[in-house]
Amino acid sequence: MVITPVHYIIAPLIAAFAIPLLTKIHKDAARVVPGIVLFYNVIVSFVLMKHIREHGMISEVLAGWQAPWGINLVVTPFTGYLASMVSILGFIIWLYGFRFKRTLKGGEIKFYEILQMMMIAGSIGIIITGDIFNLFVFIEIVGISAFSLTAFYRSRDGAEAGFKYLLIGGFASAFLLLGIIIIYTQTGSLNMAQIAERMPDVPQQMKIIALIFFLVALGIEAEMFPLNGWAPDAYSQAPTPTSATFAAVVSVAGVYALIRVVYTMFDVEGVNNYLMIMGFVSMLIAEIAAISQKNLKRMLAYSSMGQIGLVLIAFGIGSKLAVFGALFLMLNHGVIKSLLFMTGSYFIYNTEDKKIKSLNGIYKKLPFVSFLFGLGALALIGFPPFSGFWSKFYILMSAADEKYIFLIIGILLVTVIELTYYLRVVGRIFFAKEEGEPASHKPSVNAIIAMSSLALFIIVIGVYPDLIMPHIQSAAEALLDKSNYIQQILSLN
Amino acid sequence: MFKKLIVFILIGVIGYMLTVTFSNIPLGENRIGSLDNPETVSAFYLNKSPQDLKVANTITAIVVNFRGFDTLGEVTVLFLAATGLASILYRKEDEEEEENIKHFAHRLNLPSSSLVRTGAKILFPLLLLLGIYVFIHGHLTPGGGFQGGAIIATGFLLMLISYKGFQTNHKVMVWLESLAGLGFVGIGLYGLIAYGSFLQNTGWTGNLNDLISGGLIPLIYIFIGIKVATELTNVLDILLNIKPRKK
Repeated sequence: MVITPVHYIIAPLIAAFAIPLLTKIHKDAARVVPGIVLFYNVIVSFVLMKHIREHGMISEVLAGWQAPWGINLVVTPFTGYLASMVSILGFIIWLYGFRFKRTLKGGEIKFYEILQMMMIAGSIGIIITGDIFNLFVFIEIVGISAFSLTAFYRSRDGAEAGFKYLLIGGFASAFLLLGIIIIYTQTGSLNMAQIAERMPDVPQQMKIIALIFFLVALGIEAEMFPLNGWAPDAYSQAPTPTSATFAAVVSVAGVYALIRVVYTMFDVEGVNNYLMIMGFVSMLIAEIAAISQKNLKRMLAYSSMGQIGLVLIAFGIGSKLAVFGALFLMLNHGVIKSLLFMTGSYFIYNTEDKKIKSLNGIYKKLPFVSFLFGLGALALIGFPPFSGFWSKFYILMSAADEKYIFLIIGILLVTVIELTYYLRVVGRIFFAKEEGEPASHKPSVNAIIAMSSLALFIIVIGVYPDLIMPHIQSAAEALLDKSNYIQQILSLN
Repeated sequence: MFKKLIVFILIGVIGYMLTVTFSNIPLGENRIGSLDNPETVSAFYLNKSPQDLKVANTITAIVVNFRGFDTLGEVTVLFLAATGLASILYRKEDEEEEENIKHFAHRLNLPSSSLVRTGAKILFPLLLLLGIYVFIHGHLTPGGGFQGGAIIATGFLLMLISYKGFQTNHKVMVWLESLAGLGFVGIGLYGLIAYGSFLQNTGWTGNLNDLISGGLIPLIYIFIGIKVATELTNVLDILLNIKPRKK
């Protein structure tokens, strides 16, 4: 096998270290090189996915030391699915932002591109690593890039959002480290598989305390209530491609880490219920908060938190069907929310403020973008011919299987809330009376390609979900089959 | 007041739980187990680093080889922190500049005392030398790339604060930083291509306690040392001289 999982990390690292030199040779290198690297990651994803379909999961050892001793990177159908999704979305987001940044004021493009690329690479690292301390390092990489990018525009609010995120992210890192220390003192290992194997021998009290640390730390990354106070500010103040990355890439990696810890490492009873309740509360509160938002990007941010809440609910239910629905929803959320952020930013560009009320009749100015936004909104709410329908459908089905009546009522209620605030925006865009001058910022070709490919995905998967379902099916199976994971990693090599 | 009370109670609860938890962990006791038949990673590392890697300083073996990928990640974190600072900390060309300068003018123009300047001048090369010594001997004595790099950056800090208008050579810094990072990844790639595992050490490791021993480990630590030194110096430079940038 020529292409191995470590390529996911090496290629962006080489590019990140080389970009300061390459920009001296050609000033556009900083724009182009991340695209090449992210495209290479897409190729790596396809090769690895093909390989694991034919030969089973990959556990790559680093520095030549076997799995419990050294660091290993693991590509199972589950991590491979998420890593492929993240790298493809990362590439599309790069494509979208390729010319957008020409209008950047003040900040230098070189720094932006390095941070953005490393944020995506770090998220892939979180997903594919099989080592708990390595996970911490990648969370740091993602965090440091995310803080700087949030404050990148250096506006007053941006600096505030960045600082808030920095403080909360610092807490997350400290708590995560404490959790890792406790686990290490109890099991003498940092390898996730070996920790999972030795976990039954750990005293209950230690287990609970460590789990609390992990839940708090990773809950911050996964935007779980009540640890998501940073999210609306960060989403709304960051440059648009970064907001899309937060929704499509970083939150996915955060949820992954949370789920990996809860599902694979720990065997504590009742944590599933905790996930379900917290997911439910975050969904409800976020969606209710979204109604009252006047700023479009803030509204999308709250909607993101609501979706992540729904994902957590499904993981909390924990049946195979629910996990399937959750993984499907993670993909849909990534695709649809990036599309909404991308299109939404063109609206914001063409209005004086970021307010929803100044979107009146913008359909006349930006017909194509408005059309895509409407499509994204309908898909997110879960209208049938779009992909968003299927994920919500499967989650509702799994809740019905387990007879969680309140969950079903709650999810349907939230859908009505979503319907209200999305259709309010869509109504303004399409039917309200036009105001202001014609659009000054038309979408560039690459942005149109990026947005159309996302829209195409939404429609194609909506009409023909069998295209992606087998992958999600095997991903869900791989996640739930814990003993196989442990066995394969500890003896495969 | 009520809010503060709640905060204090919560902190108390967290503190209590942490105290109970950590007092139950027998930190400092020998729980490594048998070295010959290792069950914990620590036993494995203590066993393997003198035997297989021929590295006297086990911590270096862990940092650079066993968990070298983490170290690469940490170097990247430092690199990203410097990049992030550079992307945020600048001054728009006409923004507040004059007012600030007026405000701080009397302090800015005050030279350091000749005692400080002479002391800095004498200490600077010695600090550089000490830093280089520390990272070259990282596999033999305590310390290594991060520590050596930090010592070198301290030397630059001394110069930056005692001489107004002391400038680091940006071109050289950028080149050194990038090449050191690429060197680290390059050694990793060499392992991947030659032995099939990223960052794998060479078969040739020399004798324990020799300066040239441990295969590629000292070389990696030298790259880390250079990278950390240039990055920390860059961070200091950015923080001390916030540069104007065109709008």
